[in-house]
Amino acid sequence: MSAVVVVHGGAWAIPDDLAKASVDGVKAAACEGHSVLKRGGSALDAVEAAVRALEDNTVFNAGHGGTLNTEGEVELDAIIMDGRTLGNGAVSSAKNIAHPVTLARAVMEKTSHCMLTSRGANQFAESIGMATVPTETMVTEYERKEWEKHKNYVTGVMEDFNAQWAHDTVGAVAVDCSGNVACATSTGGIRNKMVGRVGDSPIIGSGGYADNLSGAVSCTGHGESILKVTLARLIISHIEQGKSVADSSQLSLQYMGNRVHGAGGAIVVSPSGQWAATFTTERMAWAAVDHDVLWFGLDPNQRSKEQLSN
Amino acid sequence: MLPVVVVHGGAGHIPKERAQNSTSGVSAAARAGYIVLKGGGSSMDAVVEAVTQLENNPSFNAGCGSVLNVKGEVEMDAFVMDGKTLATGAVSAVRDIANPTQLARLVMDKTSHACLTAEGAKQFARSMGIPEVPMESLITEYSRMRWRKNIAPDANPVECQMGKMGTVGAVAVDSEGVVACATSTGGMLNKMEGRVGDTPCIGCGGYADNNSGAVSTTGHGEAIMKVVLARLILFYMEQGQSAEAASDSALAYMKSRVDGLGGVVTVDPRGNWAARFSSRQMAWAAAQKDTLHYGLYTGEHFTQSIDEPH
Repeated sequence: MSAVVVVHGGAWAIPDDLAKASVDGVKAAACEGHSVLKRGGSALDAVEAAVRALEDNTVFNAGHGGTLNTEGEVELDAIIMDGRTLGNGAVSSAKNIAHPVTLARAVMEKTSHCMLTSRGANQFAESIGMATVPTETMVTEYERKEWEKHKNYVTGVMEDFNAQWAHDTVGAVAVDCSGNVACATSTGGIRNKMVGRVGDSPIIGSGGYADNLSGAVSCTGHGESILKVTLARLIISHIEQGKSVADSSQLSLQYMGNRVHGAGGAIVVSPSGQWAATFTTERMAWAAVDHDVLWFGLDPNQRSKEQLSN
Repeated sequence: MLPVVVVHGGAGHIPKERAQNSTSGVSAAARAGYIVLKGGGSSMDAVVEAVTQLENNPSFNAGCGSVLNVKGEVEMDAFVMDGKTLATGAVSAVRDIANPTQLARLVMDKTSHACLTAEGAKQFARSMGIPEVPMESLITEYSRMRWRKNIAPDANPVECQMGKMGTVGAVAVDSEGVVACATSTGGMLNKMEGRVGDTPCIGCGGYADNNSGAVSTTGHGEAIMKVVLARLILFYMEQGQSAEAASDSALAYMKSRVDGLGGVVTVDPRGNWAARFSSRQMAWAAAQKDTLHYGLYTGEHFTQSIDEPH
């Protein structure tokens, strides 16, 4: 039984000056997830570890490095799902939490609910001893500058080019040595979003889905489009009908482009260890570890590899 | 066959003394939705009208009459979706407004987002000129009594189950063949603050697509989320199952896979409809070809002329 982990750091027109850091970031996160799997850890532990690494990395729009809403605050969304039980946990609009994916997991494991939002999510975080992080620590110089620049654009112009917006949500999928699959997705959302805007990331079936019977998916891209087609669950439905993980992703992303004119990307893993990283945006930073080989890419059709030393 | 509207007032265990109010409430809402359709209104107008009526009716767990969270406060979720464009709007954990479904529709029509939560949703309501109402005006004696009983250390678990479900919703097809859905709820009795259930999560609380049909769900929210119930029913319909068979298959799957009970109203673009539930009861009513259909207990299906008083 082959354990596999795949991670993504967002599907969008990643500029050249962020390219190396993005690829380095997803490679490091994939290796984190791989270490967990290699010592016999669960798929759930692996996706959490991988996403935590991406949340710590300020290059990505999740946890630290999260993008600012229209009032200059950080509101974070995340989801985690266990393919064995369909158990899942999510938070939306949580403020100033370093690891929203861990908070989402706590919702799943410590409450009888699947999702907490806003003040309720933060109160729960406090009740389990999770610290809040001051906004200044979470927000990068780069983000603050971009946010100020963005505020000066007419909103209408930006809306037409959803592929140009930063969609650097992060996510991971994994299958462990017991054949269990899991997914996790985490984001700060869209820069300058309305206060309280919730995108696809924390919504089960859209930002992610995991089912031992078919596979695990984590999505990134234009959130509102992903929601409209429930992208993760759509990919799963194609797998259920016997298509490969790659074809399932391709068909679903094409459908999203045709039906609602949205672009994005998805990573998928099947219970038997098949995996794919697919996108319809200009770029997507992704990496995977499979049979001790580290795969990664950024541009369309790019598949680079490195042998991992044991 | 067209137009048609089907509404539900919540799946669960409805105490005998409240049965009459439930049945007359859904019948009135179905009538109201049907009048909109006959007058040439869209399916979106019809479902919003029907659900607005149920929100205003204190007998249902939505708007006025919402169940209380653990702190004794009202937090509401709502969702709408248009089957032609897949446009969608949702609000979660919104406070102090009378009609969350109308706010969800405004999210869809007036913003570039699909979902707003909590304080952000309220700010948006204010910006749209929606009046703020005192929380007290949404709280009924019955909901306060249920909350108190559930808080008590010796709370009866059977009674706790009553009112753990609820939620109202509607689906419709208009004379142009466009489908739509709307769902609204106060959530789960004594839920944690900020708990978000299935209702505002696209694919869970509802889904509408002119290619297959529209669904609005009710029941145990966390279970509905795990199986993405509304989208699951439409996957079955896409594969050729009827509205009724698809609804039954999906409810059976939810019961066997995650041990959850619930109910749905489902319609296809040609006007075939179903009101199905795995819980003890679901108050439902449908209007089609000037006939009112309604029921509450399993197997019930009463009909009368739409013009006859109920």
